[in-house]
Amino acid sequence: MELLKRQEDWKITYTHALGEVASWFFVQIRDNAKIFGRRCGDTGRVLVPPRAFSDQTLEPTTEWVEVGPGGKIETFTIVYEPFNNLPEPPYAFGYVLLDGADTALGGYFRGVDLADPAAAAEKLKIGTRVVTKFADKDKRKGDMLDFWFELA
Amino acid sequence: MALNRKTAVIGSAIFAPVTRQDRALEEILYELAQAALKDAGLTIDDIDGIVVASNDQFDGRAISIMAASGSVGGVDRDILSTPSAGEHAFVMGVLRIASGQYDTHLIVSWSPTEASSLSEAQRLGADPYFHRALPLDELSSNALQAAALAVAAPQAHQLAPRIAARNRANGAHAYPDAAKAPAGEAEIASSEAIRWPVRKGMVSEPITGAVALVIASEDFVDKHGIENPAWVRGMGWATEAGFLGDRELSKAPALEEAARRAYEEAGISDPRQSLDLVELTDVTPYQELLSYEALGLSKPEAWEADLGSGIFDRTGKVPINPSGGIVTLNPVFCTGLIRIAEAAGQVRGKAGRHQIKGARTALAHAASGFAMMYQTVLVLGAEREGVQA
Repeated sequence: MELLKRQEDWKITYTHALGEVASWFFVQIRDNAKIFGRRCGDTGRVLVPPRAFSDQTLEPTTEWVEVGPGGKIETFTIVYEPFNNLPEPPYAFGYVLLDGADTALGGYFRGVDLADPAAAAEKLKIGTRVVTKFADKDKRKGDMLDFWFELA
Repeated sequence: MALNRKTAVIGSAIFAPVTRQDRALEEILYELAQAALKDAGLTIDDIDGIVVASNDQFDGRAISIMAASGSVGGVDRDILSTPSAGEHAFVMGVLRIASGQYDTHLIVSWSPTEASSLSEAQRLGADPYFHRALPLDELSSNALQAAALAVAAPQAHQLAPRIAARNRANGAHAYPDAAKAPAGEAEIASSEAIRWPVRKGMVSEPITGAVALVIASEDFVDKHGIENPAWVRGMGWATEAGFLGDRELSKAPALEEAARRAYEEAGISDPRQSLDLVELTDVTPYQELLSYEALGLSKPEAWEADLGSGIFDRTGKVPINPSGGIVTLNPVFCTGLIRIAEAAGQVRGKAGRHQIKGARTALAHAASGFAMMYQTVLVLGAEREGVQA
């Protein structure tokens, strides 16, 4: 017998409140091209991205600490498959421990030729020093795509 | 801490892959639940409660427990749902029986492939503040973990294709009609990198699948004279931080904790001596290697020698993934509960083509979320109690 299928394409738009901690973080990126973390008053650890509280101690964080722009690669991968609303592959992304931070920040790596995966992976080797770069001021929107990492 | 009341798996059904187009999801779940009940020799009237686990994003249906309430017997019956992991439904069911309030439970999980992309659906699992703008699906997170592991243990790159080849060969033996063609180490090692360092031959495309288990208290098992139950001898579960950047990805502390609890309950001090087989979450072969250490099966410095010795082969002393694992059949959301069903099937002597002869004690390792954020370990045994031999 004839078997039917039904295709549905939902378009729901979500408008998420970022809260004051993430808002301040992204405003600093947008307006001043600087990255900040939050210090846990209990342990002194600097959490990046910033958190209002430490999920280890459940104590509120107490102060803003500027981190980076230098750092080292904690881990990376190179993506060869396309995603919706993301750059055309291939591209590299991963996590960087910025100078002064105790947790690593996710972001894209740029400026490395990804045509040969093994050669690219060697350049992005874990532990390699990188520096945070920012889009031009008039292009920055206050989001995670305002900055990326390049080999130092 | 041991459970107050002993519980056993007494029935199961695994539908994977589901390729037929003449059944809607609710109809598949109906047939699945009936098959598991039949395997247990019960009817739905014998079932006190139900726990299901499903993923709303994969199902394309909010509160997707609604798909199960009618089809698995939830109407006028106690039914709960968890979206965190299929294996968590099992944990909840065992705890509910241990509470003394229930004698039997039906545990169900499913994972369709009706979304245009499960990768995109998985991205909804990342927070919308700091991570949504990254290509962060489960495979990316597993690749990030693989890269971190390979710094701590560089031999992982060489061993990963070997593990994938073994699991795929096991899969071709266990499920010859469903498994993709086995591939050799060299072929896997030279297949295209899809998320460096993970290569195409090391993972499997998502398939539609569903799994159901029937569990019962020792009182019920005794009263009904149930033969060959698989007793829950030990159970542990633990969770890691939500942000990948907060974690030491080359380690699996939540799995170490889950294993410690499960082994302690089961009275296991040397898993290589006590276990007759292991079903673990080879979401990529790098995660399998990481699990070896956390489960006390093999330390990184011994990986190469152990894999070379054949101890983990299907014919070895402690076969790992005789079912072929996730690289063989990957119904994404319910792979963890399938590991438990496979391990229980082995202890019950009902594993099918890949039955390990004389299997008395089996370990199931289930993991879910980004880079195995949720970790669960089950030790299942043919003996109700006593120290595992």
